[in-house]
Amino acid sequence: MRGKTFIAHDELPEVLERLSKAMDVWIPTAINDEKYEIQFLPYQSDRLPVLDRQSTMPPKKVIFPQVETLLHFSRKKDENNPFKSHIKLEDEEEVSPVLVFGARPCDVRGFLVFDEVYLNGPYKDPYYAKRRKKTLFATLVCETSDNACFCSAVGSGPADQTGSDLWIIPVDGGYVIEALTERGENLMPEMGKDATEAQVAEARDVQEKVAGLRVGEADLTQNSDAFEDRFSDNEYWRDMAFKCISCGICTYVCPTCYCFNITDEAKDLDGERIRSWDSCMFNHFTREASGHNPRPSKLERYRNRIGHKFSYFPKKYKGMIACCGCGRCIRRCPVALDIRNVVLSLKKNKENVDVCK
Amino acid sequence: MPMDEKTKTLQEDFEKNFADLELVIGWETGFDRLHATPVFIRQPSELGKLVWNPLCSQNLSGYLAKNLDASIQEDGKKIGICVKGCDSRSLVALIQENFIDRKRLYIVGIPCEGTVDLRRLMRLNPSLKNVRKVDIEGNKAVVETDQETLRFPIEDVLARKCLRCLYPNPVIYDTIIGTPVKPRISEDKAYTAVEKLDSSDRKQRLAFWKTEFDRCIRCYACRNACPLCVCQDNCIAESRKPKWLTQRDGIREKFLFHMIHGLHLAGRCTECGECERVCPVEIPTMLIKEKMNQIVKDMLDYEAGIDPEAKPPLLTFDPGETGI
Ligand code: SF4
Ligand code: SF4
Ligand code: SF4
Ligand code: SF4
Ligand code: SF4
Repeated sequence: MRGKTFIAHDELPEVLERLSKAMDVWIPTAINDEKYEIQFLPYQSDRLPVLDRQSTMPPKKVIFPQVETLLHFSRKKDENNPFKSHIKLEDEEEVSPVLVFGARPCDVRGFLVFDEVYLNGPYKDPYYAKRRKKTLFATLVCETSDNACFCSAVGSGPADQTGSDLWIIPVDGGYVIEALTERGENLMPEMGKDATEAQVAEARDVQEKVAGLRVGEADLTQNSDAFEDRFSDNEYWRDMAFKCISCGICTYVCPTCYCFNITDEAKDLDGERIRSWDSCMFNHFTREASGHNPRPSKLERYRNRIGHKFSYFPKKYKGMIACCGCGRCIRRCPVALDIRNVVLSLKKNKENVDVCK
Repeated sequence: MPMDEKTKTLQEDFEKNFADLELVIGWETGFDRLHATPVFIRQPSELGKLVWNPLCSQNLSGYLAKNLDASIQEDGKKIGICVKGCDSRSLVALIQENFIDRKRLYIVGIPCEGTVDLRRLMRLNPSLKNVRKVDIEGNKAVVETDQETLRFPIEDVLARKCLRCLYPNPVIYDTIIGTPVKPRISEDKAYTAVEKLDSSDRKQRLAFWKTEFDRCIRCYACRNACPLCVCQDNCIAESRKPKWLTQRDGIREKFLFHMIHGLHLAGRCTECGECERVCPVEIPTMLIKEKMNQIVKDMLDYEAGIDPEAKPPLLTFDPGETGI
């Protein structure tokens, strides 16, 4: 294996420029100088990565676009029989190789949750699979957690390398890059010049320091049964969800929320079948054709969000929590609803539950 | 009055009146001291949770129309609610539209020196940590952390809506906490942001909105946080029957949604800024409603949410109307 490399701050644009000739490079970046929120966008020469804070939107859409065309259809009337028409379907769409540069460990872990459902189960999702296969992650060891982060509480952590292909470690004057997989290794020739011994040593120190951090105090991995016990405690769920305004933020900013909707969008004889992000916090998420809705209020909807992530999912998928602890849903929630408090309170007696947080 | 004192007065006032109340809606400290969160108090012993500070940005009046039955009087008990100037205007609008019954409310009004826009604050200070307290002293926002005390000019950190606010003092209340404050601008400056945008040509304006809306993720937080967006689960944005919008993520769908949102708020929007604050991708959605309100003001000489007895222009029809 080739050794570690070093990219100086002012060489980064050059490196990204070169890489973007061979593949689509996505970076976390601000819309413009006046905006604070960070999104993953395709690299362009006038766009620089912003690595000093977590992105608002995770790189979820790189592999799981908010809207994806599953197939195109067009109908043609039969010339001889006006009651008949012929349908033509097209579904081939090529995808290019992608590098996500500057993701965080929690961002990558989001896809490990996706993988269980879309790749490793009995049904393989071809749309997800083709993008997933072609996407590489160059991930930043994470030194900038805030009070909403809790990756260590769900079985990961700020130095978790699982799922990444390249590892980015900030050091004095730039970044030390290390390959973690063979595919990552193949990109190393593009990743700057050989790192000096001092840089390698500094990188090791940073890595060790971050690996020693615990982000999020509690352990949120063992709540499956507590959730089931609480399931019909309506008062608990009413109080917990009372301030929720039923928007889509927590699910849309979540790297692990994978629910979608499928609709046919047609005009006249032509159209597309698309799949688009859905949100279990929306009223119509479980509305049935009859008009009946088994989750008629935010009480049931919020309960589902918690149950899915902290009980149903780990029960089905080897104990894995369907939450990477990125804290986005807490940070961006218009009413600062704290999912940690809801999960932690599952095990508490009624008297000790702090419903107001 | 300093913030801590206002918080104390607030708590004491509710304590005094709790016998007449079934619920108090206010703010408490959220997951850290830089975030406030709504709190719903049913036991007097919990009143100590209530806080008032420049982080109390959520407009709580929406809960009355959307989550609570605030129109029926049971046992003569009332709902206590804390409002800033802008929030109180939303209350007035909801009362005008019969969503809530004034008699059902015990309103505690708080003269407001403005709320902090966390994005603006964090942009100046991406590594801001361990915040203990945020307060406003004259023209400075004072941020105390465990390590230091930072001072920022308010123009740099207050929410945009607060810098152009004409009604920082609640327009409707039963009790007022502290003394009235002066608006930071004069009336003729209220629409400068809209005017600035209007001064660019049509193409530039279209380009501006295209860039902004392109980011919209259709999470509908702007709609759900709006106290006056009351259609909620029956919004044209999601309805498939009738089908106005597709599920596609193109600019056309987003544009239409925002235009409808704007149109439905014309002369109703109380400029509380919630739609803009909650947007996770920082789209200045309130600008559209400001424009609508500017037109309503110019043509009909009406401002939303000031007088509970007034009829909002789009809720009435006068066959003799002139000037339209
Ligand atoms: S972001 Fe907050 S308010 Fe919106 S649906 Fe999620 S929990 Fe509810
Ligand atoms: S539930 Fe919240 S903290 Fe967990 S992965 Fe989703 S956004 Fe992040
Ligand atoms: S808009 Fe006015 S009343 Fe509302 S928070 Fe800002 S300054 Fe206060
Ligand atoms: S449109 Fe925006 S500013 Fe106007 S009332 Fe609704 S949330 Fe407040
Ligand atoms: S809150 Fe922002 S992203 Fe969400 S629908 Fe409104 S404008 Fe779009």
